[in-house]
Amino acid sequence: MPVIPFKQAIRQAMVEEMERDESVFLIGEEVGEYNGAYKVSEGMLARFGPRRVLDTPISETGFAGLAIGAAMCGLRPIVEFMSWSFSFVCFDQLMNNAANIRYMSGGQFKLPIVFRGGNGIAHQLAATHSHRVDALYARVPGLIVVAPSTPYDARGLLKTSIRSDDPVIFLESEIVLNETGEVPDAEYTLPLGVADIKRPGSTVTLICWSKMVKLCLNAAAELEADNIHAEVIDLRTLRPLDEQTILESIRKTHRAVIVDEDWPYCGMGAGIMTRIYKKAFDHLDAPIARVCSEDTPVPYSHPLEHAMQPSVEKVIAAVKEVCYV
Amino acid sequence: MAVVNQVQQPTDLPETSLSPQETRNCLRMMMLIRRFEERTYREYTKPGHHIGGFCHLYSGQEAVAVGLAAIYHQGKDYLINGYRDHGHALALGMEPRAAMAELFGRATGCSKGKGGSMHFFQAQLGNLGGHGIVGGHIPLGTGAAFACSYKKNAGVCFTLFGDGALNQGAFNESMNLASLWKLPCIFICENNGVAMGTQVVRSSAENDLAKRGSAYAMPCKNVDGNDIDAVISAAREAADRARAGNGPSYLVMNTYRFRGHSMSDPLQYRTKDELERARQNDPILIYEKRLRSRGIIDDAALQQIEHEVADIVNDAVLFAENSPYPDLSELYTNVLSETYPLQK
Ligand SMILES: Cc1ncc(C[n+]2csc(CCOP(=O)(O)OP(=O)(O)O)c2C)c(N)n1
Ligand SMILES: [Mg+2]
Repeated sequence: MPVIPFKQAIRQAMVEEMERDESVFLIGEEVGEYNGAYKVSEGMLARFGPRRVLDTPISETGFAGLAIGAAMCGLRPIVEFMSWSFSFVCFDQLMNNAANIRYMSGGQFKLPIVFRGGNGIAHQLAATHSHRVDALYARVPGLIVVAPSTPYDARGLLKTSIRSDDPVIFLESEIVLNETGEVPDAEYTLPLGVADIKRPGSTVTLICWSKMVKLCLNAAAELEADNIHAEVIDLRTLRPLDEQTILESIRKTHRAVIVDEDWPYCGMGAGIMTRIYKKAFDHLDAPIARVCSEDTPVPYSHPLEHAMQPSVEKVIAAVKEVCYV
Repeated sequence: MAVVNQVQQPTDLPETSLSPQETRNCLRMMMLIRRFEERTYREYTKPGHHIGGFCHLYSGQEAVAVGLAAIYHQGKDYLINGYRDHGHALALGMEPRAAMAELFGRATGCSKGKGGSMHFFQAQLGNLGGHGIVGGHIPLGTGAAFACSYKKNAGVCFTLFGDGALNQGAFNESMNLASLWKLPCIFICENNGVAMGTQVVRSSAENDLAKRGSAYAMPCKNVDGNDIDAVISAAREAADRARAGNGPSYLVMNTYRFRGHSMSDPLQYRTKDELERARQNDPILIYEKRLRSRGIIDDAALQQIEHEVADIVNDAVLFAENSPYPDLSELYTNVLSETYPLQK
């Protein structure tokens, strides 16, 4: 199977869907002539021309809103945010318009639109460019939130997201864009709302998504030395949540650690824990642990930035805590 | 492709009424900033990676920051800026040591290593900081002007942003508010012709960016941003007007950035030819020539300045290298005025 970088898998999905459906177009800052700030859309302007690959001014409110309006009128936009941190400039468009128009119109309008871009902490970009928007958007009824961890998942999930008739928040990460993985040549799609067990295990369940998956797999590998067999569940979709896969795993392992790059307070982990406590409380042998970023803004200085984030060591410590070793 | 300075620049050579010593200081500061930025480039690209994150250099645009600093009323005025902020901080008087240490992420940096290249703050000098979200700080500059007018202290706020920021709602909302309430805000667009890889002709329906302010009932002007004297006289006129309570002005300083957008920019959208032409308009060369012709500097004086700024920048790098990283406990400080339990 070919091994390709994450960004190429995303590009493949966009190109295939644009070939397949005339109404799909890509819009965002530097997506065309510059070939994408992170080269995700490299070559797409040359392939599809400026009608379907549109470079915008730095006007997030303008182009995100324009795309929502176009989606209401039958087009299927893919909106690239250079960083999800910049989506706060157009929060209104996402929270009020994208998420609510189907509902408020009594179902008269559908909003087939994908918003995608880099999410989370990269390398020393400081507080304003390091936001993790996972929980922020996953809270919102009317949105779908997808956060793949591998090139294979990214391509399949993005294709499904583009074909979806609902607004999809698609979270990538600047620092995994160049990581590689196996992706078949043949076309495929993956369903939204279905988690994937990235490593089976029996002692403890590690719940994660996006770039935390690799971290958890590394921790799981190290934990084998202590005879701890961690099962790693990659959620892949944050809304809707695949509760079944999580609960099945916990009924088997009786212990769980949730690993989240975001702040702990009111985060994804809090929401996931509630579900587990409600539906699998009797199966738990220990309170659920969480590994999150520290409850502070993201600092620039490298040692501080490193210290504030989840790490393999922190995951291992949390696992040992729930395993009482 | 080159779209910088296609707009008509005023041709009359303005009188700035700076003393010879002040003009020499201006030239020296421009040279210091250039030296600082070019050294930053080298330190960033060195193996070992002392400087991280996004880093935007100011080389080529020095006349704007230094010209504004020349008429800045310290203790009264404010300045706020986007992320291309090293030059402005130095021009207002930041110690090069504190600036370089910030880039190195050290505890001795101007923002204690917490902000980095895009976030140089210095409250003491009225420097309200560099800001990373394009256009997001323009309302803050308007707010600083509001505070000046509220306190009736004849202070003004120089609010700087790039040509790309004009396309944000925040710019348009701020211009209207400031003019409606006659706030002492000097809106300054540093038009270097390009926002990352997008030239002005590809982002602004109106290519004359001064006209972008014409709906807000305030003076709007194109200024040769490579000519520090032009910068000074336009900014002084706008500041005088604001100090007198007559409201904001909008100045478009047409200039050029010599380096890429940030350190990762391969500059594929720019031709050698374009850069060559821009080098002819290097603000430092222009000013140097002028001061020579006025007999204010000569070869020896110039050489001495070169040596001085080189020493200052070397010293700043040494200082940064030898400074400690912030203690890990610093992660939790400065979040709020008091320390509360972490919300785990
Ligand atoms: C709201 C927002 N969108 C996008 C970006 C990414 N970005 C950073 S700088 C930049 C270009 C800005 O150009 P300009 O305003 O002309 O300033 P210059 O870099 O030329 O000084 C872009 C698109 C951002 N920081 N904030
Ligand atoms: Mg610019």
